[in-house]
Amino acid sequence: MDDYLIPAVDGVAYGLLLFVVAAGLTLAFGVGDVLNLAHGTLYAFGAYAAAEISDGSWGSLALAALVGAATAGAGGALLSVMLVPLAGRGHLAQALLTFGVALVAGDRLIALFGKDDLGVVVPAALDRTVHLAGHSYPGYRLALIGVAALIAAGLALLVTRTRVGGLVRATVDDRDMVAMLGISPFAVRTGVLAGAGALAGLAGALGAPIIGPGPRTADTVLMLSLVVVVLGGMGSITGALVAAIAVGEIQTVGVTNFPTIAPFALFGAMAIALAARARGLLPSGRSA
Amino acid sequence: MSLQRRLVSIALATGLVLTGAGCAKDEAKSGGAGAASTLKIGLLGSLSGTYQAIGTDVKNGFELYLKMHDKKLGGHPIDLKIGDEGDGAQTAVPAATKLIKDEGVLAVTGIVGGGSVAAVAPLLSEAKIPLVGSVGRPELKDLSGVWTTSFMSSDPGQSIAQYIKDKVDGPVFAIGPDYQGGYDEVGGFTNEFTKIGGTLANANGKTLWTPFPQTTNFLPYFSQIKSSGAKAVYTFYAGKAAIDFVKQYKQSDVKDLPLYAAFVTEGSVLQAEGDAAKDVYTVCNYSPDLDNEENRKFVAAWRQAYPDATPTTFAMASYDAAAVLDRAIGAAGANPTSQSINEQLGKLGQISSPRGQWQFGKNHAPIQKWYLRQVRNDGRALANVLVQDLATVGA
Repeated sequence: MDDYLIPAVDGVAYGLLLFVVAAGLTLAFGVGDVLNLAHGTLYAFGAYAAAEISDGSWGSLALAALVGAATAGAGGALLSVMLVPLAGRGHLAQALLTFGVALVAGDRLIALFGKDDLGVVVPAALDRTVHLAGHSYPGYRLALIGVAALIAAGLALLVTRTRVGGLVRATVDDRDMVAMLGISPFAVRTGVLAGAGALAGLAGALGAPIIGPGPRTADTVLMLSLVVVVLGGMGSITGALVAAIAVGEIQTVGVTNFPTIAPFALFGAMAIALAARARGLLPSGRSA
Repeated sequence: MSLQRRLVSIALATGLVLTGAGCAKDEAKSGGAGAASTLKIGLLGSLSGTYQAIGTDVKNGFELYLKMHDKKLGGHPIDLKIGDEGDGAQTAVPAATKLIKDEGVLAVTGIVGGGSVAAVAPLLSEAKIPLVGSVGRPELKDLSGVWTTSFMSSDPGQSIAQYIKDKVDGPVFAIGPDYQGGYDEVGGFTNEFTKIGGTLANANGKTLWTPFPQTTNFLPYFSQIKSSGAKAVYTFYAGKAAIDFVKQYKQSDVKDLPLYAAFVTEGSVLQAEGDAAKDVYTVCNYSPDLDNEENRKFVAAWRQAYPDATPTTFAMASYDAAAVLDRAIGAAGANPTSQSINEQLGKLGQISSPRGQWQFGKNHAPIQKWYLRQVRNDGRALANVLVQDLATVGA
């Protein structure tokens, strides 16, 4: 059992990171009814920001997180504007547009930062080993678990306890009714897409030492967060959290203990979830 | 005029003509001062893409040799044509075609990726242009015009197996990337190690292959290594994967197990790894602190030309490619052709190099000595410091 401790803890770190990314994707889908295939690219914005800005000091890491969140948030808002002409055309048109944007932006990122996977410098105080029940574990990841848990808690509070959150939940439940109340669905959607982008950018800046910036980053992150969103029930925050941890564990405990099936386990789980409950593990309650 | 006198004069005249011809021949051989023709040599390296750092080393190593030798090889001024191999065969083939068709080069050197070599070699063979490769060397069917100054991928692992068997008291865990280069590199070690009676700590004695290139998190594998009861680890990774592996290794449960490896600390990755790379053992055919005349000259010239970079095995092998061409062209007569250069490449015998003496084996790759190095602070910065000689490997 002791052998599984470190991979299990690592799975939580990985899972919480995925949750911060996927929470934005699932909200955008639930609230804005937007299938944003450029979401992984917004994570990459943050990751590249960390690679470029973070130089081992706390201030630079904070600046990287700020720049990553701001650029990715702006990217999300821009996407919302670009989606205006596609109103009423359905998910396929959205998918084509956002995927096209992802391809173009990905190409620009490579032109700017090169084809290499870039390394990321973390503050020296975190770049060391910590002891965990007789095991060694990278300090940065332990800190990331704490920070990601804080972000998750903050997000839960925001969604369940504030007026803005109430609006968001109301839009998930019944978009038309919210529109009838005189609140512009476009404003809500733009706000959610910008917030979702900022979350992705923040996750990218903080998660860069784990899923680092490179030509494949956007695809990897998009794929994993789509799995999380589908598994968790589209639009459900709690569902996304459970699914993200599950995916994290498959990626860590799974790859060593079941190396032959781990690559398929993710998609196997997704297929089973879709077959058994078309709306995911913890559906959001909105009628599809 | 009597018959006798006529015969004598004919004989004399013939003799004069023959002697004159002899003189002309000698003159051609020596090249005549300054009259030697300019030769075009093509250099193909990954100057962009994943292996940009290695490609740059290849270019710098070759150019350094030219610079140190009056821009001449074998007495001929050299017009070096440089092509960008990019990320692989897809970009290497058009670049090679340009060198062959448009530039009409006599010989080609460099080429980083094994896949690029496999794709370009048939083109060169068809054009009867020799390749003096300095990095990548896959299995090839036709070796007649292919020469390699680097090594076969299985050589490093093979050369260190005996040392690890003697030093490590217990089983060794083998782990590497799941692609051909990884199989060759780590396989070179595991084959030799088990042959001489070493035990692998891996389950069923099978090397652990990590998905490549998507593996960036090695921690789960390190937990697995820890629970296997291994006393040491052998591995091969390059580029970003090497950085991830080494950094995470030093913060994981296996941080106290000695790490033996090929290439994980070679070149620009060492700086990115920083202190995490300290104490890592690597096997290499070169170390910048080797104590020989050629190396002292090479390192001094390198430090002057590229003060920010440490000379790597890639730069050294490319420097050697120039040295090898220098001798082959010099021996190929006044008007060297691709064929005559290739012929002379096969007759070089011992080659003096910064890595020590080596020679081409039957497979047209070096028979050479390998060295054990450890990452230590050499007084200025972290460096791969020579520890001792290992085995001489090659065929």
